Amino acid sequence: MTAFMYEKDLSAMKYAILTSTRHDRMIREIAAELDIPQIRLRKLMMDRFDMMLLENLPARYDQGKNSRKTENPVEKDLGAGLYTRAIPLISSSEMGKITEQVQTLIREGTSEHEAVVAGRKMIRGVILQ
Amino acid sequence: MSILQSVKNLVRSKSIHVAYVDVGSCNGCDIEVLACLSPRYDIEQYGIYVHNNPREADILLVIGAYTPGWEEKLHTLWEKIPDPKVAIAVGNCPISGCLFNRPHTLVDPPVSKHIPIAAEVPGCPPRPTEILAAVLSVAPLVFKDYEVAKR
Amino acid sequence: MKRTVDVSVPIGPIHPCFKEPARVKCETKGEFVISAEVELGYMKKGIERIMRGRPWQEVMFLAERVCGICSVIHNMVFIEALEQMSTIAVPERAALLRVIVNELDRMQSHILANFSYCYTIEHETLAMYLLDVREHVMDELERITGARVTCAYIVPGGVRFDLRSEDVLHLRANLAVIEEEVTRYMHMFEGGPLIALRSREIGVLSRGAALEAHAVGPTARASGMPETDRRIHHPTYKKLGFSPVSRTEGDNYARIMVRFQEVLESISIIRKCLDTLPEGPIRGGGIPGAGEIAYSGEAPRGELSYFIKTDAAGRVVDISIQTPSIMNIEACCHYMLKGVSSLADVPSTFVSADPCIACTER
Repeated sequence: MTAFMYEKDLSAMKYAILTSTRHDRMIREIAAELDIPQIRLRKLMMDRFDMMLLENLPARYDQGKNSRKTENPVEKDLGAGLYTRAIPLISSSEMGKITEQVQTLIREGTSEHEAVVAGRKMIRGVILQ
Repeated sequence: MSILQSVKNLVRSKSIHVAYVDVGSCNGCDIEVLACLSPRYDIEQYGIYVHNNPREADILLVIGAYTPGWEEKLHTLWEKIPDPKVAIAVGNCPISGCLFNRPHTLVDPPVSKHIPIAAEVPGCPPRPTEILAAVLSVAPLVFKDYEVAKR
Repeated sequence: MKRTVDVSVPIGPIHPCFKEPARVKCETKGEFVISAEVELGYMKKGIERIMRGRPWQEVMFLAERVCGICSVIHNMVFIEALEQMSTIAVPERAALLRVIVNELDRMQSHILANFSYCYTIEHETLAMYLLDVREHVMDELERITGARVTCAYIVPGGVRFDLRSEDVLHLRANLAVIEEEVTRYMHMFEGGPLIALRSREIGVLSRGAALEAHAVGPTARASGMPETDRRIHHPTYKKLGFSPVSRTEGDNYARIMVRFQEVLESISIIRKCLDTLPEGPIRGGGIPGAGEIAYSGEAPRGELSYFIKTDAAGRVVDISIQTPSIMNIEACCHYMLKGVSSLADVPSTFVSADPCIACTER
């Protein structure tokens, strides 16, 4: 069998990046907000992101949290900008659909809190697919 | 000594290609190797050409304390260099791991465990002149009469 | 996620243009780069893991060796974080000496970055000129601190060595030489038609993308973000008064020009320091104690942040370091490299962001 010189399993090195204090804090926060098990979230990030993005996640997360303050209420509660642009866990088209659904729910009379909780559940569903 | 051998000796003494590989240092030694290129130290006046291409290198400068990313790769790299070849460890890191060789570290020094090292230049980082002196003193020892010594 | 692309071209980890090992994987359509990924892991030493549980006296030297190119600023930010935590006062002379050394370090780092860029676009003449000027800066650094690279000059409550009056003369004379040369090379770079061909409009980073990736330092300032300069928040720099350099093009050319202009800016800051340097002690003393702080300073490559937690004995309990290269390389590989029209421009665009892999991985 041909041994490829440069392609090797990077998961150990990716995991080493995710164990730093700031990464750990960030993952705990995201996992708590979206109600995803931390181990699942780590695995997801290791699978989807390249190493450079993994290194930069805490900085992007802080930046995303800052810009989150200026979004409109529903998007802010769902973290629309945060989870699509700053930490690309979910595509912006999917996020747009979820935001629309949540807004419809609110218009139909569901309380804002419940609608957002339902929206987060949808986000979780899409992320864990 | 045959005429061919003496021609080879002459050519090899005037044309040394150097590649450097950083296997996990702080970057300080890299830039000291780069500083050797500068007109002040002028490494090329001795016929040394820093090329960073292992396929045509004679001397490999190894910098750094051997991180897990280089497992398998450093050895493959070493095999790609054509004979005669020699590796020089630049800085404290490849020799002892310097201050990265502590509990909980990821590095695995010394580099001589993984590839044969012919010379060591200690220092954190060594001066460009020291690197230059090491290259110049090791090269004739290895490259002169290489075919005779091999036999 | 699987994607269909024409061809995936890996560059590195050993590449003639890269000073350090990094692996850039470009997904291309013909020569056009659709997207790029950077894979690391060649320099991960686990410095933060080593630092935990060690006294600050040891961590100080480890902090300096996070990056060998900008070692002074790592030293400075770590020590200043400790000082802020335990309210240690610094004599004014020492504060100015710190600025002088830091600016010298910034100059050599910027000149080295520009050297790498010129070397990558195969303008070896200009590259060698720049490397020669850098040696003048290194001379001054060595004369003041006693070492070329890892000098450990800054200690809590002051600096290690005083600047003697004959050193001031040397420094002023050398600064004049450096200023003249750098100005000349800057004009060479500015006016070179072939340089412009390989640099202008290539690797454009828009302001929005720079904000999103949290780009910092010259990379961000070339995209019109002068507010990213952390020096405007530093008390000593505030007193000296200076205005950050910025350009709006956001391409390779702008990034290199920003660095040239910052070198000249640094020279004028050092001159101001020398003019206002008061007589007095250089070490006030003080022992770091318990505390927790997030402190950032402006490294040559951008904003450098230390998050430190220490106990009463001055041992570092928890630390994490956010180096500028993390943000800049990320901005480079996910925004700048996207849409580069030729593979030949990939190394030069990558180098123009001044990547320091040792910083990035620690």
